[in-house]
Amino acid sequence: MNPTLYLGFATLLFGIGLYGLLQRRSLVAMLISLELMLAAVSVNVVALTTLTGHDASMGQVVALILVGVAASETAIGLSLFVAIHRASHSIDVENLSELKG
Amino acid sequence: MNWAGAVFGASAATALVGAVCAVGLKSIFHNILGFALAMLGVAGVFLSLGSDFLAVVFVLVYVGAVAIAMVYAVMLSVPLDLPARPRSRAKVAGAALFAAVGAAAIWLVVRGARWPQATGRLDVSAAWIGYRFLRDYVLAFELISVLLVVAMMGAVMVARRSRSSGEGR
Repeated sequence: MNPTLYLGFATLLFGIGLYGLLQRRSLVAMLISLELMLAAVSVNVVALTTLTGHDASMGQVVALILVGVAASETAIGLSLFVAIHRASHSIDVENLSELKG
Repeated sequence: MNWAGAVFGASAATALVGAVCAVGLKSIFHNILGFALAMLGVAGVFLSLGSDFLAVVFVLVYVGAVAIAMVYAVMLSVPLDLPARPRSRAKVAGAALFAAVGAAAIWLVVRGARWPQATGRLDVSAAWIGYRFLRDYVLAFELISVLLVVAMMGAVMVARRSRSSGEGR
């Protein structure tokens, strides 16, 4: 199969995630958008290593490492979300301006 | 190849519908459900690439663990019936424009590239991936386990109520 098909799908997914990251204000929604973008990157890596004849298992290894990084990022992000909500009773990122000069 | 194409089409459509739900819907709970749907679709895309182990890991980690953790965090904090303030139109348009320009730039690069053809069938079985992980990529493997432990401990430290500083707000 043509890798362009997979790369086009990943581009769409990345674009949707980028839009969500910029447009949403809830921290959880931004985290979701970030995960969508990371999934698009994983699709790219796996599709290119599988379909262009390079070392296919290397793509899988990279994607699995990405899953691990994304999981730890989610853990930290959600705990920050809980802590911020406890401190300010809001998860709207536009209200988080205490450090603004 | 026909089978893979059908699986790819169905899963890509599922993933895109889920992604649109994940960023477009108002309710944060619906966003999380859309995210789980999108990750199921991405797992199907991996399946169409022949990487079944990665597909299973994606379903386990994202649909199983991450989505559930997000539901827990939302249930712990947000009143779900809280009305969201309307977003200013200029910011939405700016975000859409930036995302469209970024995706278009990536698409231009993708269209312009020439990829070499695959040469024969490649081994992506779970046994071979595990072998590669413990032989060639063992440093990355160990670093990931350290990172996961540190992230988990950090998450607990950040999220727990501190007893000494008398946080009562």
